[in-house]
Amino acid sequence: MFPADFAYARARSLDEALDLLDEAAAAGEEAKLIAGGQSLLPMMKLRLAAPQVLIDIADLEELRGGDWTARGSGFDVLIGALTTYRQLARDPFFGEGLPDEHSGIVPAMTDALAVLADPQVRARGTIGGAVAHGDPAADLPAVLMALNAQVVMASHKGEREMPLDDFLQGIYTTDLAEDEVVTHVRISSPDARGSAYEKFPHPASHLPLAGVCAVVRLSDGRIDGAEVAVTGISPRPYRARVTEQLLTGAAPAPDTLKAAAAQVTRLPDGQEASLLGDQHASAPYRAHLAEVLTRRALARAIARADAA
Amino acid sequence: MPAAREVSVQLTVNGAARAATVPARTLLVHFLRDQLRLTGSHVGCDTTQCGACTVALDGVAVKSCTVLAAQADGHEVTTIEGLTGENGTSQHGAGALHPVQQAFQDEHALQCGYCTPGMVMAVRQLIADHPSPTEDEVRHALSGNICRCTGYQNIVAAVLRAANLEG
Repeated sequence: MFPADFAYARARSLDEALDLLDEAAAAGEEAKLIAGGQSLLPMMKLRLAAPQVLIDIADLEELRGGDWTARGSGFDVLIGALTTYRQLARDPFFGEGLPDEHSGIVPAMTDALAVLADPQVRARGTIGGAVAHGDPAADLPAVLMALNAQVVMASHKGEREMPLDDFLQGIYTTDLAEDEVVTHVRISSPDARGSAYEKFPHPASHLPLAGVCAVVRLSDGRIDGAEVAVTGISPRPYRARVTEQLLTGAAPAPDTLKAAAAQVTRLPDGQEASLLGDQHASAPYRAHLAEVLTRRALARAIARADAA
Repeated sequence: MPAAREVSVQLTVNGAARAATVPARTLLVHFLRDQLRLTGSHVGCDTTQCGACTVALDGVAVKSCTVLAAQADGHEVTTIEGLTGENGTSQHGAGALHPVQQAFQDEHALQCGYCTPGMVMAVRQLIADHPSPTEDEVRHALSGNICRCTGYQNIVAAVLRAANLEG
């Protein structure tokens, strides 16, 4: 099994990658960027994607590195788009190790990086790809969204930055224009030590049938602030803002968490979130999983916030 | 560099420089098997799940069915065929098995053998990352490799033995 024929170019700089994108657009050819290729290549092999031009951005120094700053319990981190899951998992900032060794400042990130795909895929897959691919069932976007992620993009017209919550639009659909490259992802939180990611994986693909990230801050025995994000059940990962509002100011008692989790598919306008179902799990079952996982993620996040 | 349907690749495979011109869509595993005749890396599921095609790319285990040969241009690849040489001239003697291979033999960690090269390459990475893994860590770290014979019990035993041998 191999992809449909395409033309390949490896860009040596961001400028060259942007030139190649412009050239393909001028020629009326569909171009895709490839870095790790762990989501794109499987789709190309199944002929679900058949770009005519593939532009390899793996060598772009402009998309590497980052700016790791922690201030007390809070942080503001700029992560280069080419940073792999393996590199993130081995970064002291996010904590290294297998599950239950949560030494990092963002335990939800440590959780997700240990259960996302498998070690070989994590060695190639990148954070830029995780957001640019727009996969409705990717793990990391839920964590990033709960950490108020911003997506930084560049084109010949300049640089722009927008919340991941606005960037993700639908199934494999994002706000990224044809002439743009995702260069960085920025995450920030006043305090994410009380955080957790819980997923129910498909046993073969490891993709989440549902995945929930919860970040909780406690103050004087009450929930001072909470961010909850859900993946795998809707056309795009989303913030469960009704659940967040129910938690804010409440005591972290089991009944409160249960009532808040029960509203995880409710949108602020009162409507239910658009739900996905397929041969692996029906929409109502995925919604049920999301509710259960929200309760578990909240309980673990609160236990960690207590211990912090 | 303009985009092209044929690309020339130069890479180091098991310590030797190799060069070829291939269609851009050539997958690394097909390049290794069909062009270089290194047939130890197997194509199992072909959908990035089973891990039978695992090789080390710049020293890190990856699935070669999900890497283009063009992406590996300028990089180093180690396949299962390259492992015996790694330890061959040391105290194990010329052509001796790699400690992970030896542990697989000792623990009878294979039935049909199809998944074995990928398992060995993944275990090599696991031990490099975690020299003294617990059984739980071993099972978790092998989540990207599937044994169709379901012979996991002996595979896990072999990993723990290999970790002891190398440690």
